[in-house]
Amino acid sequence: MNIIVVGAGKVGLTLAEHLSEEHHSVTVVDVSEDALDRAGNHLDVMCVKGNGSSRRVLLEAGVESADVVIAATNSDENNLLCCHCAHRMGVGCTVARVRNADYSGDLENLRSDLGINLLVNPELSAAVEISRLLRFPSAANIDTFARGRVELIAFHLQDSDFVVGHSLSALAPRIQNLPILFCAVEREDQLVIPDGSFVLSRGDKVYLAGTPAGVNQFFKLLGRHSHRVHSVFIIGGGRVSHYLLGLLERLGMSCKVVEKNAQRCRELAEHFPRSVIIHGDGTDPELLTEERLPSSDAFVALTDRDEDNLIISLYAHQCGVPKVVAKSSRQNYSAIARSAGVESVVSPKTATADQILRLIRGIQNSKGTVMTALYRIAEGKAEAMEFLVNDSTRNLGIPLRQLRLRRGVLIAVVVRGSKVIIPEGSTCLEKGDTVILVARNSGILDLNDIYADSFGTGG
Amino acid sequence: MNVKLILRITGVSLLVEAGALLFPLGVSLYYHEDPVPFLLTICILLAVGLGPALLLRPQRHFFTRDGFFTVGLIWVLMSLFGALPFWFCGQFGNYVDCVFECVSGFTTTGSSILPAVEGLPYGQLFWRSFTHWLGGMGVLVFTTAILSSLGISSNFLIRAESPGPVKSKLVPRASQSSKILYAIYLSLTVIQVLLLRLTGMPWFDSLVNSFGTAGTGGFSVKNTSIGAYGNPAAEIIMTVFMLLFSINFAMYFLLLCGKLKQVLRSDELRFFLGVVAFSIVAITINIAPTFAHLGDAVRAAAFQVASIISTSGFSSVDFDLWPEFSKMLLVVLMLVGACAGSTGGGIKCSRILLLLRSARREIHSIIHPRSVSVVRLDGEPVGEDTLRTTHCYFIIYLFTVFVAAIIVGLDDFSFGSTMTAVITCISNVGPGLETVGPMGNFSAFSDLSKVVLSFCMIAGRLEMFPIFVLFSRNAWKKS
Repeated sequence: MNIIVVGAGKVGLTLAEHLSEEHHSVTVVDVSEDALDRAGNHLDVMCVKGNGSSRRVLLEAGVESADVVIAATNSDENNLLCCHCAHRMGVGCTVARVRNADYSGDLENLRSDLGINLLVNPELSAAVEISRLLRFPSAANIDTFARGRVELIAFHLQDSDFVVGHSLSALAPRIQNLPILFCAVEREDQLVIPDGSFVLSRGDKVYLAGTPAGVNQFFKLLGRHSHRVHSVFIIGGGRVSHYLLGLLERLGMSCKVVEKNAQRCRELAEHFPRSVIIHGDGTDPELLTEERLPSSDAFVALTDRDEDNLIISLYAHQCGVPKVVAKSSRQNYSAIARSAGVESVVSPKTATADQILRLIRGIQNSKGTVMTALYRIAEGKAEAMEFLVNDSTRNLGIPLRQLRLRRGVLIAVVVRGSKVIIPEGSTCLEKGDTVILVARNSGILDLNDIYADSFGTGG
Repeated sequence: MNVKLILRITGVSLLVEAGALLFPLGVSLYYHEDPVPFLLTICILLAVGLGPALLLRPQRHFFTRDGFFTVGLIWVLMSLFGALPFWFCGQFGNYVDCVFECVSGFTTTGSSILPAVEGLPYGQLFWRSFTHWLGGMGVLVFTTAILSSLGISSNFLIRAESPGPVKSKLVPRASQSSKILYAIYLSLTVIQVLLLRLTGMPWFDSLVNSFGTAGTGGFSVKNTSIGAYGNPAAEIIMTVFMLLFSINFAMYFLLLCGKLKQVLRSDELRFFLGVVAFSIVAITINIAPTFAHLGDAVRAAAFQVASIISTSGFSSVDFDLWPEFSKMLLVVLMLVGACAGSTGGGIKCSRILLLLRSARREIHSIIHPRSVSVVRLDGEPVGEDTLRTTHCYFIIYLFTVFVAAIIVGLDDFSFGSTMTAVITCISNVGPGLETVGPMGNFSAFSDLSKVVLSFCMIAGRLEMFPIFVLFSRNAWKKS
């Protein structure tokens, strides 16, 4: 597909990189020569210099033949204008990054009035992810499918967990009646899709799919059903904090925010009457002690600097805060953080890239089955996807045990109507089902791609 | 400072006062009384006002300090000239007494130096109460409403004259806002006059009592105030209207626009109603034993609470005879006062709310020394500037009370009389306790005390700052 990315900043470049890796022809537009040089040198993309909201520049970038225009410059207004222009010039799909919290209430209207297909807000996505983690503190990661009816939860196994040292088939009698499934296990940087003989061990990061109730039940069995988070300590008062405070206040959690900038403190205090806003340096341990960090139920580090976030998160972890979440834009830091004990690392950039890739794969595959969700798990080593089964899907009505799937693909959950089914050999796919897959190799665009033989009827 | 412009506005205001005097002139002609005091005053006002109003061609530069200065100046001059009819009439004592009476009228206080009002000429009684009506909404608000051609940003004037910590306009143009306010004011007054007439009160009394209620003034044409009528229906009507006139007029505008939700969200209104409800219940319980019927106790308590918190100062019974608890509560209500943007006086409910919330924030900041929090009113954050002004206002208010009390103390009245005389004057209520109680008056005070109390009344009505600006040396400097 022909894709124009306007704005060669962090998000723009990341997107361009992913998209060109997925064999799309990408054109990058930016006003800055330097940024374009960087893009041109590192990526296989075309570069056009100029303002992406101008007709002339868009024409030069080949807007007439473009399938998708993604506007990710620093300015929200510019992005909106650019997408609107592109829409008027006949581009079928436009994506704008809009980060300003003032617009967050208007997103639906902006979408319909300006003809923009997708408005992405990296900070809001990150905040939603963090709020989900805080609601369920036992998990390191939570992704939701089928409008919240299915969750994919990642957590680390500890010595005390009874499942450690048992094979999955041996565990089956004990967890059989729970609607959950072990989808993937991450062990020493390797991702394994486990079968019945797989033995769980300490330190494994386990991805568990199931209904929220089932997952809760399982955690109770583990004896890890940790108490609810009541008080949250947040360092940094940027955009993510702004969205997060809004979400957490609605959940009734009491929040404390430490922010360096006095003006910003005042703004936050004006918006969030129920939260305590503290003006000070969040990296100062004395301040953290004074504000009784150790007695908080959860800690979230959201400063602009990844390094600061990691260091304070480690400090909070040492202080004994049960749940620690750090924001990090860089993938390589998250591995370090995890090895040091900070399990939950959230990246706004990745969340956005996922969102946009999902849309583009959906468009690319508009004839086949529709992908309704995509998450990359285990630092991109695997993908969890949600598809809607329709007429074009092959092998409907044939029990799964008779089908041969591609290696590294697992059908984790099937949602049929209001029923959530953990598939067994006898389960068949039916039209209208929602299927949630975990796949080690990326590039699955259609549900039919999961079958090992491209023509086969199974056997 | 733009002296020419200030003089011109002052001139115009004096002409407005001359125009207002036509009403009492008409009344005295109707009752075949001596019209000379009014005619003479009108002539003097015309002589003084016409020159600056018509001849000066000032430049249009006009700033906040000019606004404050002008408002202070005009109120002093209007009172000095407005006292002339009383003086010419000869039944009010010396000129200081007349000025006190007139200031008490314009500032909607309602404290009187007259031992007996019954028997005075109708024209004088009408003028006395009519000053309440004029002063209630503000003379300058009126001036700007009718004279949008003054050619200046009248915004500064209105800001200086209308009460309340947060000035908000109803509509984009200031003169338009003034017209809306006066329209609401006038209609409510007319409704009250008609309702009072329906209860059997004579036309003249309905009119002057409505003036007193609308301006939250409290001059009455009977020696024993409203109690003299023995008319429970009228008392209930007045209770309701006193409360109506002590609510921010912007609320009525919102109601007319159909924004009921916004009205219900008003913290000040809820606080005001809460205080009123609490006080009525508390006082009723306290005074119930002295009444034969509980209904009478409730009616008396409600009337007095409404009268005091609206800073009107009417009385239906002699509350100076009530138990100490009720009296103390009423004195506190005098200080609290009505809502901002109403015709009432006092510190104003919104300021009290801001002060309380500001205090709560201060206590909170001891627990979290570096926390940043915002004081809110109606859910909206209040600026630090507004808070600072409010704190300062409160301090000036208290200091004025103390200093004035020391000076009035020279007259050697009891602590209760002295203190409540000052509080009632600065809050524009009217009656105090003991000597200045509802059945008493201010005639026994010395001229010095009367001047000081007059000053308190104007300072209280103009919310301190405009009147103190007059005393600032910098305000008089050319550069």
